[in-house]
Amino acid sequence: MREVIKLGLILLLITSVAAFVLGITNDITQGVINARLEAENIKSIEALLPEADEFIMVEGVEGDIIVEVYEGFANGNVVGYTIKTTPNGYNGTVEVLVGVTKAGEIVGVKIGQNTETPGLGTKIADAAYINQYIGKDITQEFVVTKDNPTEDQQIQAVTSATVSSNAVVSGVNSAGSLFNDKLKNR
Amino acid sequence: MKLGRIFSRGLVFDNPVFVQLLGMCPTLAVTNSAFNGLGMGLATTAVLLGSNFVISLIKGFIPSKIRIPAFIVVIATFVTVVGMLMNAYLPALYEALGIFIPLIVVNCLILARAEAFASKSSPFKSIVDGVGMGLGFTIALVILGIVREITGAGTVFGAAILGESFIPARVMAMPPGAFIALGLLLALFNRITSKELNEL
Repeated sequence: MREVIKLGLILLLITSVAAFVLGITNDITQGVINARLEAENIKSIEALLPEADEFIMVEGVEGDIIVEVYEGFANGNVVGYTIKTTPNGYNGTVEVLVGVTKAGEIVGVKIGQNTETPGLGTKIADAAYINQYIGKDITQEFVVTKDNPTEDQQIQAVTSATVSSNAVVSGVNSAGSLFNDKLKNR
Repeated sequence: MKLGRIFSRGLVFDNPVFVQLLGMCPTLAVTNSAFNGLGMGLATTAVLLGSNFVISLIKGFIPSKIRIPAFIVVIATFVTVVGMLMNAYLPALYEALGIFIPLIVVNCLILARAEAFASKSSPFKSIVDGVGMGLGFTIALVILGIVREITGAGTVFGAAILGESFIPARVMAMPPGAFIALGLLLALFNRITSKELNEL
């Protein structure tokens, strides 16, 4: 019994020293890593809303699947918003980023991190699917169709990836209702 | 054992990859380019150097019953430190090596050196052993990376060296190419060293 306690204490000592070293390293590197991640984030939202040259985070609009919203400025005037949403896909959440002008026109859609089925669900990131949203009015309710779209709010699903396609639609739709409810009249 | 012998053993005669065939997972997985091989080799060397040194310092303090968990804690600490530093200051390499950085913890080369050498030797000798083994590992990974990059993409460290008429064999940059290249290099290495050893 006494030996077990002694061995345990020695291991405790070793792991405590290790934890202390890791804590210090984390303190030193975390700032640098965060700054880099933020710069990458800004870069990816710049691509969504090319018009804007400055972005400021909008506070207090996060919801169920709304993650973060940036307000884009050009020469000090608001030109639009980028909205990051995480709707549920076929296999976990899908990051859907939407860029929208002040007037409500979708100018960019990008699929971020996701764990959809490679080769099927991941096709939602292809231009063929994404470009269906570009230029459309975000305030309408989009629906997925398996046939050729005949109306403006219809989005053709990726073949054999209806669930993944639905995820993007619900991401864009929730971005749309956020735009309608809160962003439009700011 | 003389220091020079300890050093050259890791570098050539007991080369971790070409002779001991230790740490095959990173060896095969990340050597699709010379740059990745170099990065993985140096990261492993840093961990090996640190863990060998610390383990030889505290070897008298660790009861043999719990030596393996104690070694693993020391190794895992160094791996995490290297991973954090790389994420902060070498993000491109961090992205390229990805999951294989945390997996350095289970690289059997490092535990093997801790168990077979550092836990029985002086701190200074352990450092020499760590650097020798680490550089041996690095050189092997870089050679493998160069061979696979030339045949698989026609470049070395990203610089095109073969003309446009060269059609790269994509298979060499993919997992089967790693086995093919390693097998051929092993044969070559054995041929060269067996000759030298016979002459000694």
